[in-house]
Amino acid sequence: MSKDILIFVECKEGTVRKVSLELLTKGKEFTERFSSNLYAVLIGYQVKGIAEELKAFSDKVLVVDNEILKNYRWDTYAAVLEQLVKKYIPYMVFGASTITGKDLFPRLAARLNVTIVSDAVGIDFGGEGVRIKKPIFGGKIISWTACKEGSTPLVTFRPNSFSIHKRSLNGELIEESLKIAKDPRLNVVNIERGGSKKVDIQEADFIICGGRGMKGPENFQVLEEIADIMGGRVGASRAVVDSKWREYGDQVGKSGKTVSPKLYIGCGVSGALHHTMGMDTSKVIVAVNKDPNAPIFQYADYGIVDDLFNILPILKDELKRAKEEV
Amino acid sequence: MHILVFIKQVADTEARIIIKGDQKSLEIENKYNINFFDEVAIEEAIRIKERIKDSQVTVCTYGTKKAVEALRTAIAMGADRAFLLDNTNLENHDPLIIAKILSSFAKREGFDLILCGRQAIDDENANIGAITAEFLGIPHVSAILKLEIMDEKKVRVESELEGGREVVEVQLPALLTTQKGLNEPRVPLITGVMKAMKAAIPSIDPCSLGIAKEDINTDASRVIVLSYEPPKKRPPVKIIEGETPEEKVENLMKVLKEEAKAI
Ligand SMILES: Cc1cc2nc3c(=O)[nH]c(=O)nc-3n(C[C@H](O)[C@H](O)[C@H](O)COP(=O)(O)OP(=O)(O)OC[C@H]3O[C@@H](n4cnc5c(N)ncnc54)[C@H](O)[C@@H]3O)c2cc1C
Repeated sequence: MSKDILIFVECKEGTVRKVSLELLTKGKEFTERFSSNLYAVLIGYQVKGIAEELKAFSDKVLVVDNEILKNYRWDTYAAVLEQLVKKYIPYMVFGASTITGKDLFPRLAARLNVTIVSDAVGIDFGGEGVRIKKPIFGGKIISWTACKEGSTPLVTFRPNSFSIHKRSLNGELIEESLKIAKDPRLNVVNIERGGSKKVDIQEADFIICGGRGMKGPENFQVLEEIADIMGGRVGASRAVVDSKWREYGDQVGKSGKTVSPKLYIGCGVSGALHHTMGMDTSKVIVAVNKDPNAPIFQYADYGIVDDLFNILPILKDELKRAKEEV
Repeated sequence: MHILVFIKQVADTEARIIIKGDQKSLEIENKYNINFFDEVAIEEAIRIKERIKDSQVTVCTYGTKKAVEALRTAIAMGADRAFLLDNTNLENHDPLIIAKILSSFAKREGFDLILCGRQAIDDENANIGAITAEFLGIPHVSAILKLEIMDEKKVRVESELEGGREVVEVQLPALLTTQKGLNEPRVPLITGVMKAMKAAIPSIDPCSLGIAKEDINTDASRVIVLSYEPPKKRPPVKIIEGETPEEKVENLMKVLKEEAKAI
């Protein structure tokens, strides 16, 4: 079997998602080691412009451009990937552990009758065999798993698991025309996109998260301003979401989203286990809390013990100044 | 309407988990719950049953004998029947195999709708629902936030998209995975608990569902756990000192720039 890697690329608003560039970077490291090929798979409608960008990151760009693929659906996208995996028989297929990836990859695994490791955060192919790193039990335990040789396992990775290195490969662009039909049992009535210009919370490098200590929805304005300055996103604890101050989509934690930004700042968040399980893989954690005994300080790298209403306006100005200096 | 609900018993978030000496097995403190997202699935099934006459809710889990506790809780909440697909000697990490067992059970029981949680909070996978749907040849929708039964043949659901929402009409039979926001799971009433204590919960050998033992035993798994390790520990927190809020922020900015290189 070849050691080729095939990567399903996700796009948003006409651009390649950051997580896909991360996967391509890691995938290329893999194929360089084994002198094999890296395939980027781009599925959509009128996406050929995007394909150009991918050429720099991969050896081959497989483009499937068809109006039926304009919006993601598991039925059409799985049909495309199934055909491509059968045609190119890669060693492994990588995808992102996003809303789309979590929906698509298991369906694809079943179609191909291959196994799947999902929500991984690392992969090691330096020593004997390929080992996949995956947090379980909300990050309390890290497991290293392997897949038996012989079929093409699917692996999905959490966004922000790898860094992106700009490449200047000149991958070959291959247009694939395939048979694709929609499953008539599924009828999309409406798609509503709101605030989609902002980076997806799971991909954000910067998250400022508000807890019940924010006291009310109106106070999240300053967090929004800080997130905008930093090009990041506002997160919320469950207490905040349950109080309807913020949408569920912003919830960080066990029953919300798992995030791992470069910088997470928790404001008025107590740091309950259910919350920290969703953010403790953040690279740097800062906590602002007036209670010096708040559990969040056990997870944080840096802490400020103070009233957040004193801190936030100053923090906003300082971050703004720092950004302007760069 | 016949609704099947797949649930899993998982370690409580607070449970202590110790990696054993061989680094390949875990010792989990005896604190277990129904997987949070599966509770939402049970709740939704019961709400449908309360609305639509002649509905039946069947709950099932593939797990250890201990998982009967979770099934009893489901009955206490209002489910009609429960089955344990006993995994004694068949303990398996491969989602493909678990889905094979669940889909075989579903085929045997028959169903109009299958509900299960969007993911298990122990293995952090989100695979079982969609794989099972594919094995059954039925459509699925992941992580739904709203469910409306249109008629016996169709449901309308709302689910989360990257940066948005989608409304889909799906023909039954179908499988839907549930998440927070769909409903608030009820706490069982004492009468429910009494009923659940008495309920007979049949235990089924997965091999009796027409699957060959060698296809589902522990060796059949194509995912192998090599080792477990504890997560990297962070150094203790550095509390940023300062006389005034201004000073504290200034000092924080300094460490974020120079030490953490986070800005
Ligand atoms: C099954 C289950 C799943 C859950 N899933 C999640 C989840 O996904 N995400 C999640 O977040 N939670 C989750 N929870 C809830 C979690 O256990 C906590 O209840 C929740 O995280 C607490 O939110 P909080 O920190 O905002 O509020 P609180 O615990 O009320 O903490 C508020 C904090 O703000 C501080 N504070 C107050 N005023 C100020 C001020 N002026 N300045 C500075 N600090 C101030 C206080 O000292 C306190 O530490 C879950 C719970 C369960 C049972």
